[in-house]
Amino acid sequence: MPYKVIEDSPADFRERLFLPEVIRGVGIIAKQFWRNFFLQRDPNPDILLRKTPTVTIQYPEEKQPYPPGYRGLHRLVPREDGKPRCVACYMCATVCPAQCIYIEADEVEGDPIEKYPKRFVIDELRCVVCGFCVEACPKDAIRMDTGEHAPPTYTREGQLLDEKALLRGAPVSYQYDPWLRRGATAVDPKKLEEMRQRAKPFPAGATDELSQTPGFSVRQLAAEAKGRGA
Amino acid sequence: MRRLVGMIVFLVVFPLVLVGFGYAAYAVAGLAASAFLSWGLQPAYGTALANVVFLMLVFVMLTATGLTIGERKWSALMQNRIGPNRIRPFGNPLAGLPYILADGLKTLTKENIQPSARSKFLYEMAPVISLAPAFALFAVIPVGPRVAVSGQQVALQVASPDAGLLYLFAIASLAVYGTSIAGWASNNKLAILGGVRASSQMISYEVSLGLSLVGAMMAYGTLRLEEMSVAQGKLLWGVLPQLGFILQPVGLVLFFASAFAETKRAPFDLPEGESEIVGYFVEYPGMKFAMMMLAEFIEVVVLAGVTVAVFLGGWHPIVFEGWLKANLSPLAFAAVCAGAFMLKTIALAWLQLVIRWTLPRFRFDQIQKLCWKMMLPFALANVFLTGALVLADPTLEWLAIVGIVEIVALVALTAAATKAPEPAHGEHGHGGAHAAPAHGH
Repeated sequence: MPYKVIEDSPADFRERLFLPEVIRGVGIIAKQFWRNFFLQRDPNPDILLRKTPTVTIQYPEEKQPYPPGYRGLHRLVPREDGKPRCVACYMCATVCPAQCIYIEADEVEGDPIEKYPKRFVIDELRCVVCGFCVEACPKDAIRMDTGEHAPPTYTREGQLLDEKALLRGAPVSYQYDPWLRRGATAVDPKKLEEMRQRAKPFPAGATDELSQTPGFSVRQLAAEAKGRGA
Repeated sequence: MRRLVGMIVFLVVFPLVLVGFGYAAYAVAGLAASAFLSWGLQPAYGTALANVVFLMLVFVMLTATGLTIGERKWSALMQNRIGPNRIRPFGNPLAGLPYILADGLKTLTKENIQPSARSKFLYEMAPVISLAPAFALFAVIPVGPRVAVSGQQVALQVASPDAGLLYLFAIASLAVYGTSIAGWASNNKLAILGGVRASSQMISYEVSLGLSLVGAMMAYGTLRLEEMSVAQGKLLWGVLPQLGFILQPVGLVLFFASAFAETKRAPFDLPEGESEIVGYFVEYPGMKFAMMMLAEFIEVVVLAGVTVAVFLGGWHPIVFEGWLKANLSPLAFAAVCAGAFMLKTIALAWLQLVIRWTLPRFRFDQIQKLCWKMMLPFALANVFLTGALVLADPTLEWLAIVGIVEIVALVALTAAATKAPEPAHGEHGHGGAHAAPAHGH
C-alpha cells in the first residue's frame, strides 16, 4: 500500500453514523453565522473587551492603542510661547548610540546666556528608539510620548525630521525653568508673567514624572534604600 | 442596533424582491409568448426563450456571481472575520458586492499564460464544456407554476421533457468531461491528477445520485420535475403537504451529499485539493479559470434548485399557501411561488456553504468508502423500502409515516449529543434546532 490507512473510527455508534455529528456541526457554524450577521461588530480597539466575537482590527481606520511607556516618535516639547524648551545643550546628541541627532546651537538674540537649537534634526531611519535622549535631557525638552511611530515616506529624506516637524504637542512650563526664574529678555514681559502664572511647581518627583514606566519611582526606591541602612 | 434593524429589513425585503423578479419573469414570458404567436411562431418557444434569459442568464448567473462574494463574506461571518470590505464606492463596503466588478475586471485583464505543450483545441474547450452543462441543467427545473399571462399559458421552466430527471442525470454527468479534459489538455501532472480524481469521484457519486432520486420518482410516479412540484402540494390526511423530505428523508440526505460531490466543492474538493495538488485548472489563467470556478458555483445553484424541486416542495410557499391562493390573483400567486422557489434555492446554496466550512476535506479512500460502503447501500435500501411502501399504500400515507419516523430518529440522534456530559464539546442544547435537514433559513 502506498499510504498507511489510519483507522480512527469513533467507538460511539452515533458518531460512526456521521450524519448527526455533521448536522450538529452545521448548527454550530450556522449559529456563528447568524450571530455575526445580525450583530453590529464591536470596534473596541481592546479586543479582549469586545462584545462580539470578531477580533479583526481594521488597521488604518482602527488602531490598537500602544501600552503606556511605549516609546513612539520623538517630539520637541514647546514652551507656552511656542518656542522649544530645548536649550541646545547637546546632551541627547552626545548620549545617542545611533548618532542620529544633529543640533546646531544659536544664541537667543538679546539674551546674554540663553541658547536655542537653530537646527534640530533627527534621522528616524537611524534612530534605534532606545529613549536615551529622553533620559538625558535636563530640560524635559524631548519626549517620545506621541504614541505614533515614524510615518512612512516615499524618500529617505522624508525621515529626516527637523525642528519644525518635531515641535508639537502640549506646551510645558516648570517653575524651575531658568527663563522663568531669571527672566528672559527675548520674551515679552507680559507673556513671561503669564507663563510664570501657569507654570507647574517644581516637580517633587521630576525623574519619576518623566519616567516611562508607570509605578517606577527613583525617589521612592532611594528612600527605601536609605531606610534599609545600606 | 443599526445593523440588526438593517438585516431584519433586508431579510424582509429580499423575498419581496424575489417575488417582484418572479412577477417580471412571468410578464416577460407572457409578452414573448404573445409576440411569437403574432409572428406565427409557437408561443411555447417564446416562453422558453424568455425563460432562458430570465432564469438562466439572470437568476442563475446572478446567484452564482453573488455566491463568489458570498463564499468570502459568508465564510468570514462563519469564522468571526470581517471579509472583503476594502472597495468602498460611497464610503461603504456595500457588503463586498463591488468585488464582483473588481473580480471581473481582474480576470478579464490578466495575462493569458498558456502551457506550450497543451492540447490546443481541448485546452480552449474545457472551460466551455465545464460551464455549459451546468447551465443546461437548469432547463428542466420548474421555478414557477403554470399560469395564464395575457392569454398565454406560461410556466417558469425552459423545457419540460418527459425524461425530466433522466435529462438531469445525463447532463450532470457531462460536467465531469470539462474537468477531465481540462486536466488532460493542460499537459501538467498535477492537473491530470485533478482530472483523474474528478472523474473517479464523479463516477462513484453518479450512482448514488441517481439511486437517491429513484425513491422520489416512485413516490410521485413521474420523472417530470414540474409534476413532482405539483404533487408536493397535495395534502396527506388533509393537513400535511406530501413534501419530498417527509416522504424521502433518506433520499434527501443522500441526494444532497451526492450533489455536493458533483459540485466538486469542499468537503469533496479533491479534484481541486489546493493544498496537495493545485487542481485540474492549474494551467488556466484569468477568465478561463473564472469560468471553471463559475461553473462550480452554477452547479451549486442548480443542484440546490433540483433539491428544492424534488424534496423541499418545489415552488410551493408551504406557509400560508391556502390563504395566499385564495386572496391573490393567479398571476400574483404564481409570482409568490416563483419567489418562494428562488428563496429556497438561495437558502440551500447558503446551506452548502455552511457545510463547506463545517467539514474538512475527505481523504480519497474516505470519499470512496463513504460512497460505496455507506451511501450506496443506504440508497438501495431506500429504493426497496420506498417501492414496498408505495406498492402497499398508493396514497403514500405509510411512506410519510416511515419518513416522519426517520426524521424523528435523526433528530433524536442529533439531539442525543447535547445530553452527553462532555465538556470538550461546547455549544450545548443546539443540535435539535437544526436537526431536520430540510430546515432552510
